[in-house]
Amino acid sequence: MKTNELTFPGLQCVQPASGDVEITGGYTSDLLSDVMAHLKEGDALITIQAHKNTVAVASLTGASAVILCHGRTASPDMLQAAAKENIAVFVSPGSQFENTCALAKCLGK
Amino acid sequence: MKAFIDFHIHSCLSPCASLEMSPRTIVARSKAAGIDCIALTDHSCAENLPAFHAACAEAGMSCLYGLEASTAEEVHVLCIFDDLSRAMDFGRMIYSHLPAKPNNPKLFGTQPVVTVNEEVTHFVKKLLNIGTDISFFHLVPMALDAGALCIPSHIDREMCGAISHLGFLPDLPYDAVEVVGDVPAEIARRWPVVRFSDAHQPEQIARRFTEVETEAFTVPALREAFQRLLLK
Repeated sequence: MKTNELTFPGLQCVQPASGDVEITGGYTSDLLSDVMAHLKEGDALITIQAHKNTVAVASLTGASAVILCHGRTASPDMLQAAAKENIAVFVSPGSQFENTCALAKCLGK
Repeated sequence: MKAFIDFHIHSCLSPCASLEMSPRTIVARSKAAGIDCIALTDHSCAENLPAFHAACAEAGMSCLYGLEASTAEEVHVLCIFDDLSRAMDFGRMIYSHLPAKPNNPKLFGTQPVVTVNEEVTHFVKKLLNIGTDISFFHLVPMALDAGALCIPSHIDREMCGAISHLGFLPDLPYDAVEVVGDVPAEIARRWPVVRFSDAHQPEQIARRFTEVETEAFTVPALREAFQRLLLK
């Protein structure tokens, strides 16, 4: 599934990515060192960490997108970094669990 | 003596800090702002402390030597020494506990080690603004045993603050807690509350500071001075 095709109830795209970025899986974590160690290329990162470093870690690990939970607002510098790194950023009112389940359903997992 | 202190300042070594944050700039800005004693506290690395020491010495600025260690839970803790070599030893130990991930300067920023004359000697290899593998509950006694003032950073901040990352502030013998906003009275009665700038750019130096009544700028004297800040 491409990032621009991702949709589930409550999910809002706040920073689209251009091109054919494919979401192949998901990784849910709020510890960026843990994300850095375990996220697999193509995973969408599901987190509450709504700041610039999240994008840096996402880019380093090859994450396809970032989904911010509990309706957290992405900081302006986070969105700028995401635009630069071409990483889609989504916001959803759901919890980490709810977003993980919703993404898994979208991916048929 | 009464003194204004700012013990949370990053130099250009911290990837998230401005390259303008050379030791001399930090000292000059702090002096201009009327700060009496400063500490350099880069993320999990002490390598700019020698240049900082030289910059303070040439300007007659009182200083302490620190670093801001990041725990396994990504909680930031200020560890501040009055002895340069102890700070360097502690810094090397903390650095060795960082993951073996090289920094990507394009994504995180550069990590230059500089001389007092603002020449870059080399770049620190591992990414500095990420958690070490030392838990918060271990780091606090490690810092105190090593002879440092141990002060959890910005405890009330969502990003890398103790309350947000641990769920509550554990009851440990910190010398003080650094806050950014308002703090509940039960915390201010239990630990001295300090405010420092957490400057990453020159214009942020002294944006927050703390006034203390201290005999000297040593760890024991400051520990005593902090006790006078406790909310009665």
